[in-house]
Amino acid sequence: MTPGGVLLEARHVTQRFRLPNGQVLEALRDVSLAVREHEVVALVGPSGCGKSTLLRLLAGLARPAEGQLLYRGQPLDGVLGAAAMVFQSFALLPWLTVAENVAMGLETRGVNGAARRDAVARAINLVGLDGFEQAYPKELSGGMKQRVGFARALAVAPEILLMDEPFGALDPLTAENLRSQAVGLWRDPATGVNTMVVVTHSVEEAVFLAGRIVVFGSNPGHVREELVNQLPYPRKERSAQFEEMVDRLHAILTATLLPEPEPAPAAAPQRLPPFARVHVAEVTGLLDHLLTRPDGRGPVFELSEDLGVDYDRMSAVVRGAEQLGWVTTPGEIVQLTPAGREIMAMDDAARKDATRARLSRHPLFARILAMLKEGEGSVEDEEVLADLTIYFPFIPADSLFQTIVEWGRYAELFDHDADAARLTLLTS
Amino acid sequence: MALKPLRLPLALTPPPLRRLGLADVAMLCLLGGVIATVVAFAREFQAPFLQAVRIDLSPVALPKYTLFSLSRGVIALLISYLFALAFGWTAAKFPVAERLLLPMLDILQSIPVLGFLPGLVLGLMSLFPARNVGLELAAILMIFTAQAWNLAFSFYNSLKSLPEPLRDASRMSGWGSSRTFWRLELPAAAQGLVWNGMLSMAGGWFFLMVNEAFRLGERDYRLPGIGSYMSVALDRGNAQAVGLAIVAMVVMIVSVDQLLWRPLVVWVEKFRLDDTASAVVPSSWVLEFLRRARIPRGAAALQRRAYRTAVRATQPLQRPFRAARPLMVNAPRLAFGNPVARKLGVAALVAGLAVAAGLGVWHLYLLLRQLGLSDWAMLASSAGLTFVRVMGSVALATAWALPAGVVIGRSPRLAQLMQPVIQVVASFPAPMLFPLVIIALEVVGLRLGVGAVVLMVLSGQWYILFNVISAVAAIPEQLKEAVTVFRLSSLARWRSLYLPAAFPALATGWVTAAGGAWNGSIVAEYMQVGGALRTTRGLGSLISEATAHANFALLAGGITIMSLIVVGWNRLVWRPLASWAQTRFQVGQ
Repeated sequence: MTPGGVLLEARHVTQRFRLPNGQVLEALRDVSLAVREHEVVALVGPSGCGKSTLLRLLAGLARPAEGQLLYRGQPLDGVLGAAAMVFQSFALLPWLTVAENVAMGLETRGVNGAARRDAVARAINLVGLDGFEQAYPKELSGGMKQRVGFARALAVAPEILLMDEPFGALDPLTAENLRSQAVGLWRDPATGVNTMVVVTHSVEEAVFLAGRIVVFGSNPGHVREELVNQLPYPRKERSAQFEEMVDRLHAILTATLLPEPEPAPAAAPQRLPPFARVHVAEVTGLLDHLLTRPDGRGPVFELSEDLGVDYDRMSAVVRGAEQLGWVTTPGEIVQLTPAGREIMAMDDAARKDATRARLSRHPLFARILAMLKEGEGSVEDEEVLADLTIYFPFIPADSLFQTIVEWGRYAELFDHDADAARLTLLTS
Repeated sequence: MALKPLRLPLALTPPPLRRLGLADVAMLCLLGGVIATVVAFAREFQAPFLQAVRIDLSPVALPKYTLFSLSRGVIALLISYLFALAFGWTAAKFPVAERLLLPMLDILQSIPVLGFLPGLVLGLMSLFPARNVGLELAAILMIFTAQAWNLAFSFYNSLKSLPEPLRDASRMSGWGSSRTFWRLELPAAAQGLVWNGMLSMAGGWFFLMVNEAFRLGERDYRLPGIGSYMSVALDRGNAQAVGLAIVAMVVMIVSVDQLLWRPLVVWVEKFRLDDTASAVVPSSWVLEFLRRARIPRGAAALQRRAYRTAVRATQPLQRPFRAARPLMVNAPRLAFGNPVARKLGVAALVAGLAVAAGLGVWHLYLLLRQLGLSDWAMLASSAGLTFVRVMGSVALATAWALPAGVVIGRSPRLAQLMQPVIQVVASFPAPMLFPLVIIALEVVGLRLGVGAVVLMVLSGQWYILFNVISAVAAIPEQLKEAVTVFRLSSLARWRSLYLPAAFPALATGWVTAAGGAWNGSIVAEYMQVGGALRTTRGLGSLISEATAHANFALLAGGITIMSLIVVGWNRLVWRPLASWAQTRFQVGQ
């Protein structure tokens, strides 16, 4: 199937959220995306890049702060009736049977009586759930639950199928099986589905499903790049072309996740770099693993696979280690530096000393230390949080603060008094 | 197989500590208005109401009185449910309403409503003189105020914590707000509503017994029911009737538990949102019977058919509604959708509230202005006395309920065994026993001044016990194993594990126990036992006496002081303590 005319479109969409602590986070900034008929679009990117937010906007479940959403050229008003959605958490009502869950969208579309029973039976049959009509969701396994999710979506014969990490909560075997079925459903003219938009975390999944892959960057969410994938369906995951496509997507994602440091113009005002929100043990774990590899190096996606960490988290850990000067990242390769080797050879006390020296030079920690000195050895949480909100409007300040406290405590730079809600300088 | 720890629903989850805002001030002012209104109503009451209730003490008459009491409780519960649904839904849907309604609920659930009872009874009697209607209304209103607030909070919390994907799924299915309410929001809230309803009912009996046996000096405001049966039996010294009344109350509580709550509790398991099945699956023989029996099933089919016929029959009538529907639905949407109209509406609402609050405070001021310096001194000293009694009763209740709760809670077997028993015992309305306890204490030589503390313990102790049991039962098994492995002495075990783990629940229990004790003070400090009136100095007796002697300024002063003390103490001491305990000692985050 070749993509046809534009079906669903987001034009210069910006979306903001207010966090419970009052901070306003910009989830998407000026995003434009056109979904055409007969195509499968995958939205990929690091967590917090707003890809799920965009999906909800496309579904008409939320209104953008700025910009416009159009369905067949008409502005979207309320929920998009031509679409159905599949959720990561399944979102089945536990008090309804499988059949009743599948029928959820039919009543309000005026399908009643025998027609409704037929539609439900057909949808249940499409996903291979015959015999489970009267079961309650809690009696089903995760994969079966998601089949119900698909059946509920298919029952209304939607033109567009929106999927938010539909296989994210399933075990790998079940996920693979359902993935191929999803492609089958899309190619099967009997389902009526002609277009799919899928949010996913997995590179292989995007390459397997989509004809067009949109890569998002974060802080705030924006479209970085689009990749057209013309591999013929059904796709073979072990084929050379498939692997090549995966590698291309890896490269794009790496450029997004581990950007090459830009040489800062000397005259430019100094900007505070955020500190990667990772744990101490994650960084030392990475260094440990690199030590076991020949030359202390490896591509980031291979590392993430070997260690069983998703690539998004992996690249955050790599960024953290890089900020401390323990690894460098030429392209997709993560390379242990001499300083990194050195620190792994030290005992605990010496390692803490070395980390302390590194952290005090990091501009963000330097700033907090300055605040502490100014406050004669102590500073209120509120003050630091307010500072973080100003410097990093796209990062939840609470979570960054927790990271800072963990590293500060580990390096014995400062301590945190949770009862009094303030940081105190440790003098050594 | 080892028993898994009981998963008791935390009945008393404190609402989160909000920052005080203008809305809270407005609500306090409005409370002043309510006090002024109640007193103004009471003032209207002129003719001494002499129609003493005639109670037949024969055992044959007892079922009738029991049914009277039961229907008052059930009617009030139904009204409470309606209120809770409307209130919770409005607060959860409209941010403006949320900002006003939450502070209101906050104050309503902490003020000692029994303080309003004397004024309210007099006020409603003035509306319906020489008939029981006023008394019945007062009784139902009182029970309602004991039942409604936690239900409303429960529903509001359920709506707020509904997972977003479920909401999205129902919206993608095109569900409108009424379908979403019946098929998503109400089922998701069902568990909380049933568990809280059970608690509310127990609280309601307390108030009902006070109401049915209410007397003010010479005036007799008793209503036919178990409460008045008991009080008449005591007046006449009829020991057999006293015993029978207690038995009837227990039978009523057990049957309501077995016939109504148990089946409901089992049935709402179906509406549990999280996947984790509860460790102990509750069972109910009544529900088993209903599920197995043929007749109910037939009845259900019949009912469905009847419903369909009714819908078909009323179709012609629906037409005008359907025609008006676009207007009914769209007009508010248009009004709310228009930013100018919305701002105007909000401004009008806020202005209205401000005016009402201002008027309330003004009227209260007019009343309180009549009080002299000596009156205020008396109010202050009485308040001090009652305050000491309340704190004493909380301390006493803690002294027995904390160790008992830990012992029961740490053994799953014991907890499972005791829980239903305690539930029934806790539902038994303490005021019914007050006269008996007072007589017993007098035999030992304790006067009402001290005895009142014991009565207040009876009013508040269960909240502490329940909360401690469920907190200790929720301690992860591995923590208990850890203290065993490290061979901690039993003293060290209590100090390092059980007491800290129980503390957040204990602090939450204190809030409610103190509230119960304040309510109890109204009854405990001013009591008719047998033929004689027994009183002791305190804020509770002051309120009752002021009403009896038609000293309305003093009545207003008493209620105001009591409300302010309770609301202020909650705000400044209990709630910060509870939320601090929550962050500091919460097990397993």
